[in-house]
Amino acid sequence: WRSLLLSSVLSLSPCSSAWPCSGTRYYGTPAEQKVVARDEPSLGVRNKQSHQFDWALAKLDSSVRRTGRVTKSLLQRIFHDICRTGYPSGNQALLLLRSCGSLLPELPLAERTEFAHHIWGKLLELGAAYDVSHYNALLKVYLQNEFKFSPTEFLAKMEAANVQPNRVTYQRLIAAYCQVGDIEGASKVLGFMKSKDLPITEAVFNSLVTGHSRAGDMESAVNILSVMRGTGIDPGPDTYLALLVAYAEKGDMDKIKETLNQVENTDISLMDRDLMQVVFTLTVAGHQQHVPEVLEHLRHDGGFVPDAMNLCLSLITQGHESTAFMLLKTFPSVQADSQNSNGPDVGNFFLRHCVNTNKLVGFCKGLMDSNLHAAPMQFTLYCALEAKKMAPAIEVMKTMKEEGLPIRPHYFWPLLAQHKRDQNTAGTLEVLKAMQELSTEPDIDTYCNYVLRTFPSVDSARTALAVLGCMWLCVLACMCVLVLRQGGRMNLVFTCAIMWSYFLLVHVCTGNLVPPRPENMAYFLYHLFDGMSETEVQAKEEVLREYLQQLHKKGICIPVNIYRGIRNILDSHHVPELIKGLESRVTLERKLEELKAQGSSGDSHLKCSKTIKCVCVFSQNLPRALELKAEHEDKMSPSCYALLINLCCRHDNPEEALNLKRELARMDSEATLDVNKYMSLLRVLSKHNRLEEAVDILKEMKEKDVVVKDTAVVLLFHTFSAVALRGDVAALRRLQDTTFALGLAKPTSNLCSPMVTMYLEKGDFAGALEAVMECETQYHQLPRIHDVLCGIVKKGDTELLQKAMDFVSQQRGEMTVLYDLFFAFLQTGRYREARKIIETPGLRAKPGRLQWYAEKCIGSNQMEALETMVDLTAKLFECDRDEMYHYLLCLCKDTNDWSKAEAVWTKMQEENVIPRERTLRLLADIFKTNNQEVPFEVPEVNWWSLMSLGAVYHAEAYNVLKEAERLGKALVPACYDALIKALLSSGSMEDAMAVKDINLTLTRKNRKMLKENALASLKTMLQMDQVPSQLALTRLVQGLGNHGDIKGIQEVASLIKSLSPSLNMSSMLFVNNMALAHIKKTMAERLCHQFASYKPATDLFLQCLDTGRVEEARQLLQVASLRQRLRPFSISRGAIAKIKNLLELIPDFAEKELVYAYMMKSMDKNLEAAKALYRRMQAEGLQMNELSLKRLAQLYKKAGEPVPFEEPPETFKFYADKLKASTLPSPEDD
Amino acid sequence: MSAPGKKVFELFVSKIPWTLGTKEVKEYFGQFGHVRKCLLPFDKGTGFHKGFCWIGYTTEEGLHNALHKDPHVVEGSKLQVQQNMMPFTWRRMDKEAEES
Repeated sequence: WRSLLLSSVLSLSPCSSAWPCSGTRYYGTPAEQKVVARDEPSLGVRNKQSHQFDWALAKLDSSVRRTGRVTKSLLQRIFHDICRTGYPSGNQALLLLRSCGSLLPELPLAERTEFAHHIWGKLLELGAAYDVSHYNALLKVYLQNEFKFSPTEFLAKMEAANVQPNRVTYQRLIAAYCQVGDIEGASKVLGFMKSKDLPITEAVFNSLVTGHSRAGDMESAVNILSVMRGTGIDPGPDTYLALLVAYAEKGDMDKIKETLNQVENTDISLMDRDLMQVVFTLTVAGHQQHVPEVLEHLRHDGGFVPDAMNLCLSLITQGHESTAFMLLKTFPSVQADSQNSNGPDVGNFFLRHCVNTNKLVGFCKGLMDSNLHAAPMQFTLYCALEAKKMAPAIEVMKTMKEEGLPIRPHYFWPLLAQHKRDQNTAGTLEVLKAMQELSTEPDIDTYCNYVLRTFPSVDSARTALAVLGCMWLCVLACMCVLVLRQGGRMNLVFTCAIMWSYFLLVHVCTGNLVPPRPENMAYFLYHLFDGMSETEVQAKEEVLREYLQQLHKKGICIPVNIYRGIRNILDSHHVPELIKGLESRVTLERKLEELKAQGSSGDSHLKCSKTIKCVCVFSQNLPRALELKAEHEDKMSPSCYALLINLCCRHDNPEEALNLKRELARMDSEATLDVNKYMSLLRVLSKHNRLEEAVDILKEMKEKDVVVKDTAVVLLFHTFSAVALRGDVAALRRLQDTTFALGLAKPTSNLCSPMVTMYLEKGDFAGALEAVMECETQYHQLPRIHDVLCGIVKKGDTELLQKAMDFVSQQRGEMTVLYDLFFAFLQTGRYREARKIIETPGLRAKPGRLQWYAEKCIGSNQMEALETMVDLTAKLFECDRDEMYHYLLCLCKDTNDWSKAEAVWTKMQEENVIPRERTLRLLADIFKTNNQEVPFEVPEVNWWSLMSLGAVYHAEAYNVLKEAERLGKALVPACYDALIKALLSSGSMEDAMAVKDINLTLTRKNRKMLKENALASLKTMLQMDQVPSQLALTRLVQGLGNHGDIKGIQEVASLIKSLSPSLNMSSMLFVNNMALAHIKKTMAERLCHQFASYKPATDLFLQCLDTGRVEEARQLLQVASLRQRLRPFSISRGAIAKIKNLLELIPDFAEKELVYAYMMKSMDKNLEAAKALYRRMQAEGLQMNELSLKRLAQLYKKAGEPVPFEEPPETFKFYADKLKASTLPSPEDD
Repeated sequence: MSAPGKKVFELFVSKIPWTLGTKEVKEYFGQFGHVRKCLLPFDKGTGFHKGFCWIGYTTEEGLHNALHKDPHVVEGSKLQVQQNMMPFTWRRMDKEAEES
């Protein structure tokens, strides 16, 4: 049928305009695409690429969302980055192409299209695969850039590339025909769309309005509106905009006003952005005189400023600065407050763009006069200098001089810096001449830092400058010559001079190899290495070593902390040799004193807990259990009672449960049930209407400090709900109030909801609203407000709705009400009302709320409501469109509706939305499960990126994880860990728990120490071909290790051996835990022989220290060469005894200062010990850092003794930060 | 890590407009006392300064005079002036300052 299409379009359409870009170059044919050898990109490249895409997308997206534009330099940078990495993904290509249209208001139209073509060709070369979305994006760019092209040829290219056009393609081709007033061409495509049963959308009609008007037939253009209504489509804002623009092109102000009035009488509202389009058209068409009248209609709503800025930029780009300036003057002026601000600076963007487009500056005075800008000339100069544009810069300076403003030497430095970089002597001389003309004398810095450095030799500088008459400079120049010509040892200095020239030259000139103050030398070295690149250091390694040796000979010492900093740098430069050279100089040769043992740390023995078998629990048979209990009354332990009570609750027997509880209390008044058992009791008591006893349970929980969280909260909710279901208001209120008053659980929306539910169930919306209002007043919660509002809307009770709105608005603000109403209208199918709400001026996207409703729709399979929400939010300020469409696709996935999914994809193209990778993957997944061909390149899943992702976008990472789980992919354990950490750190406890729940069976069982069971589950899982999660396995192995169960670990190891490759488990997990297990069994010696690995041995060593087994640790030291491996970080949180033990064992411990710092940190309230430590450090010649000194001083003060040294004056935090800043590990950043 | 005992009277000044150079800044702060040191680091790549500087007075009096005045407005721009709390940074900046 495609050939049919082609013939239908090709044969009928007169090709009025040609491809301007000489054809095929820009459009890949399949043959071409094959010619480009597409090596499979390596995983590394793909990972990098995917990472990069996220970054680029985020960067561009935030730019577009904040400002509605991107800068060319940002786009170019991203483009170059993508090219450099190679293998551009389809997504990246789409992202770049989409950005080449109206998002670049600072670029002339032709340049934008040229850039788009450049990107298209280059990415094709690099092997990008283009699908229909790319062609559609290119079409959109053409339309936005008013680029003249032949639609037929465009289709031919698509055909040749074997890409099928879709609805959006045809729509845009119609728009292209219409843009040049070719109604005939448009009709042909339209006819074809009809024959293919493609829906004719509002967008098509809008194009036709433009088409007729451009063809000079305004009557037909206006008529389109009634045609639309005839087909059941109401003209939308875009339709009226098309009409307004048509009138604007003709300069017909009367009609414009008439149309605006007409719009006001409909329920359509035009945004400022729309009116700006009219302003733009009027200006470009040469009817600027009408602009002020249109400007009066602006509402200055939410996105006014960025939109108006973009209009200004576009106007300036197209040479209409004066209209742009007119618009600029309507900007809200910031009140100048001399106390707090630096005066107004509205219009910076304007001035900058004028400079960039070489429009010379005539607006500065206007800006100053209208009080918009305090220093426009200085800013213009700044822009010119920043852009290294000499001519406008000099021009502005001349004006400034005329105005009596000072011209300073450093104004010329940016220009000189550029010339210096380019070694452009002519340019430099030109700047110097300009300085002379402006009677600004270059100062010494100008010469030293910029002018002299531009010249290849000092001689040439001298000659050139002599011409300018800067005679005195020759003296300076000669001095430099002397320095540079010195051979021998000066070579090295010269090397340094490249980075440090001025600094060093001065010192060299004064005859010092070493800067005057010795401690400066250390900093000098640090900065020297810091400033050199890896290759530089490696290349100059020999010279540097020689230099260091010379310093050594001179007896230069480097403070230890700086030495460490240098060592870190050199480490990262991979020049260990140099480090050796330095190491010899570290002043750490003095002996350490033995620390006095401060009393032996008492061995803490683990209390063995008594375990009694409780058959009854496993039998789940209550009568039998009670019998057993009666038989073994004397052997009953509290835990047995607890289990039994729980069993009673489960069997709905409150009487027996209470009896048992009383018995338990008699036996042990301190006994406390765990929270879940209390919850069971509470549930069963309230179910049997034993309210007072239930309340007593709550009080007891409070007394015994039972914490209600996680699942217990859910149980509490169910208890409340059950009471609500009975309709017992009094009981529910009593329970809720008691719970919240006692502070057992926070009054969350969920926990408060049963009360509202009770009324909702009865259809009593007034009652429900009352209940909500009460909750809000009492607990600041609005439980089920959505359902209440939906009920009221459905019932049509406007009075009640007003009451609800007033209340919510008063309590939570207007924004909340608007969203509540929006969702209620969506939910009840009142879409017109919903649209009016969401179009409220100033409304912004609230991602959390939109997500809430979207997930609700997905959960309850409400496609229509969800689709409408996505539609209606298209123009919502700051709305994440990809996110919206992703929700739609999630629902498509759930319903497995691939054709709907395809329609969603088309819709995304229509709206010019760039899908994120996960969106494309989801889409591809839907296609694949329905055996459909995926019409685009599917981005690879990058599981590893989860880790980095986890830290920032944990919600996102969590979704990917769920997806991975669903697809049955196994992730590396680090992913889980990273994610759980990230979720926990952001307070998403529940999500973190859910991650854990993925395969939690093992973990949970393991927690209960039923390791046999856990092992058995593992076996079953493996038999069932299920893969356990690493987390679960890790926990299991750790659990086994903790119990000294070597056999168990070995068993697990062998069990999962077959799975290892897919699981990617670290062998260290087993090794480490074996080690632990061995410790538990006190078989330490064997361990070291068994594993020729340091990590477990160091762990073991520290473990020994931990548990105070100094002797064993000492033995370990004999066996393993651990000494170098031990890092003080390992003991950072350790107790003082531990550190002491460590020092005792390893007297020559390498990083003593750090260890001492940790010790000082641990010296709680023990002034004497701290004093001793200080004395010892002094004796050893070690310097105590300020943080530790401060700590010591505090100890003195607390003890009421005078501080014998000067206490560091700043706060603890200050010194801690300072330590951190010095890039050295400190006791604070462990 | 300045040597203990040696008193320094330093200001840290930020939000300096690009139009002011070392000379202007020194001149302005000179009205409060004798300025021993004025470090306004420039980025030699761009040719613009970084917007902040350090002022060292020879006497405590100079420092106090400067700190007492508020606001510090130079050529229409309000400078942010505070006592230099970061002698460490001071040392670091030495390098850059001497470069400029």
